[in-house]
Amino acid sequence: MQERWRRSPSFRAWLLLSPAAAWLLVFFLAPLVVVLVYSFLERGTYGGVIWNFTFGNFQRVVDSLYLNTLFRSTYIAVATTVLSLLFGFPLAYFIATRSRRHRNLLLLGLMIPFWTNFLIRTYAWLTILRTNTGLVNVSLMSLGLIDEPLPLFGNDFAIILGLVYGWMPVMVLPIYAALERIDRSLLEAAADLYASGFRVFTRVVWPLSIPGVVAGSMLVFIPALGAFITPAILGGGKSLMIGNIISNQFLAAHDWPFGSALSTVMMVLMLLATLIYFRTAIRTGTPR
Amino acid sequence: MSDGFAVELQEVVKRFGDVTAVDHISLQIRDGEFFSLLGPSGCGKTTTLRLIAGFEMPTSGQILIGGELQGYRPAFQRPVNTVFQHYALFPHMSVYDNVAFGLEMRGVPDKETKSRVHEALELVQLPGMVHRRPDQLSGGQQQRVALARALVNQPKVLLLDEPLGALDLKLRKAMQIELKALQHRVGITFIYVTHDQEEALTMSDRIAVIRRGRVLQMGAPEGIYEHPANRFVADFIGETKFIPGRVAALGPPVEVALDGGASVLCGWAEEGTTVGAEVTVSIRPERIGLQGVDDGGTGAELARLAGTITQAMYLGTDTRYVIEAAGGATLAVRMQNVGDGVQRHAVGDAVAVMWDPQHARVLID
Repeated sequence: MQERWRRSPSFRAWLLLSPAAAWLLVFFLAPLVVVLVYSFLERGTYGGVIWNFTFGNFQRVVDSLYLNTLFRSTYIAVATTVLSLLFGFPLAYFIATRSRRHRNLLLLGLMIPFWTNFLIRTYAWLTILRTNTGLVNVSLMSLGLIDEPLPLFGNDFAIILGLVYGWMPVMVLPIYAALERIDRSLLEAAADLYASGFRVFTRVVWPLSIPGVVAGSMLVFIPALGAFITPAILGGGKSLMIGNIISNQFLAAHDWPFGSALSTVMMVLMLLATLIYFRTAIRTGTPR
Repeated sequence: MSDGFAVELQEVVKRFGDVTAVDHISLQIRDGEFFSLLGPSGCGKTTTLRLIAGFEMPTSGQILIGGELQGYRPAFQRPVNTVFQHYALFPHMSVYDNVAFGLEMRGVPDKETKSRVHEALELVQLPGMVHRRPDQLSGGQQQRVALARALVNQPKVLLLDEPLGALDLKLRKAMQIELKALQHRVGITFIYVTHDQEEALTMSDRIAVIRRGRVLQMGAPEGIYEHPANRFVADFIGETKFIPGRVAALGPPVEVALDGGASVLCGWAEEGTTVGAEVTVSIRPERIGLQGVDDGGTGAELARLAGTITQAMYLGTDTRYVIEAAGGATLAVRMQNVGDGVQRHAVGDAVAVMWDPQHARVLID
């Protein structure tokens, strides 16, 4: 009896899975549990926690100051995602329709920025956008095209620009993968059945690229919502996102429980957003 | 329609860089005809079809559909529909939406679309599957959906690009018969691309044999099979035996001297044959007769070659002999197993092979 159980396929599957499961448990689940537990504790004076159970941290999250930042962060993340999609889709389409050799070169080009540290690249943007000494404003003013420097820095525009710049490649890659998989004869079949170029796109290309669009949107939205380097540098210390507040709780304010509570709320919101997004996307992607 | 031609190609050329895929092809395909473009892979037959569909534009030359000059008209404005080699069904749409696609694009009202889609699916014998997705269908069923999706639009011309290539042999045979019957019923001109000579012979009203972008021979299946115009056609279509020789006298009948000293008579010679030219005598195995040397047959009007049987294969309905003939030629002969069905010859037997000179053709190498 026991022998048979040991030989059953499901037991073997679990056995094979166990190293990966153990890894996930320790390195993925455990930190999450720590965050969750800390969010219900009181802060210690010099960082750390005091083991007293409380809902106080969550009550503070609902404070309008933090809620406002959360809404603004969501707006910035959505804008970043939409703009990345708007610029990234045509780019992915362009790459996917090149010859094989050119495709690989273009993909490589897309990855090159990642070879430099994100922090450094964000500082590079700082030198371009800065109000009085930035490359853009200095050039435009010396050409006499503008008298006053343009407000390119220290605002949502700068943050969104920096985030789109940073995350658009991860939007392009999954869309490229989806587009590249589309059999070209499907496009010909649609044209053969009287579909104009526009309708070939809306009826065939777009629906078949939705899995890539969904994956890309998630890959951009999630890090954009939690971003803290970009708003810290390009927001000029004035325009903050929820990521900055969280990092401040840990690094400056030494309020680990409140930082944990903010993280937990954000995680739940992201989970909900992801679920809703996937549901809608899957519904649009299946035949009537 | 002018002149009753469904599709006309005039000196069409298509080059891809240095490669000439279609090299001055001219075709006149009649209304309601089942016309096959037959040739080995890479011969330009599919490119020719794609030029008609509008997926490729000709480098030079003209294409007329229903008497109308197509010029650079894009695919979606041409009155033709295509059945693709791998069906190219839209994977994200149901069978119904696939078949309805063309009607929807042309703004046909929903009610009419519905009845026409169901009619089309009935025509290809696939009713009651409207809600399935393509990946839930077998290869044969996908094939039928692809056909319905094209036919529902009632095009002037249906273009088929090796539509049976992905099916197994048995299904392919059944679909050949069905396609032919379907074509007869709907009365639409079919232009059918295939590399399978048997398929082309079975189904077509006319065949164009294509090689290296050129039409080598065009005509009804019987004509192409019985009277191949050159060595490639003779070799590509059906089984043919070739005997090398040298022209001794231009008849008719043409006399060809074989290497071993024997000579044979042939009823037809390719244009340009001259006395003394190195040529090939081609003959279909089923046209070759076999006689034991002791049988004493005369038949002065027949061409005769002495030989020895080197192989005998019993194939059920007939027996296939391989004969080493005088002059070093190897011939295959099929003898039907009629009557008592006993094998009449054995390996090693000395025999005479013979044929009516009118079935032997002299082809230039």
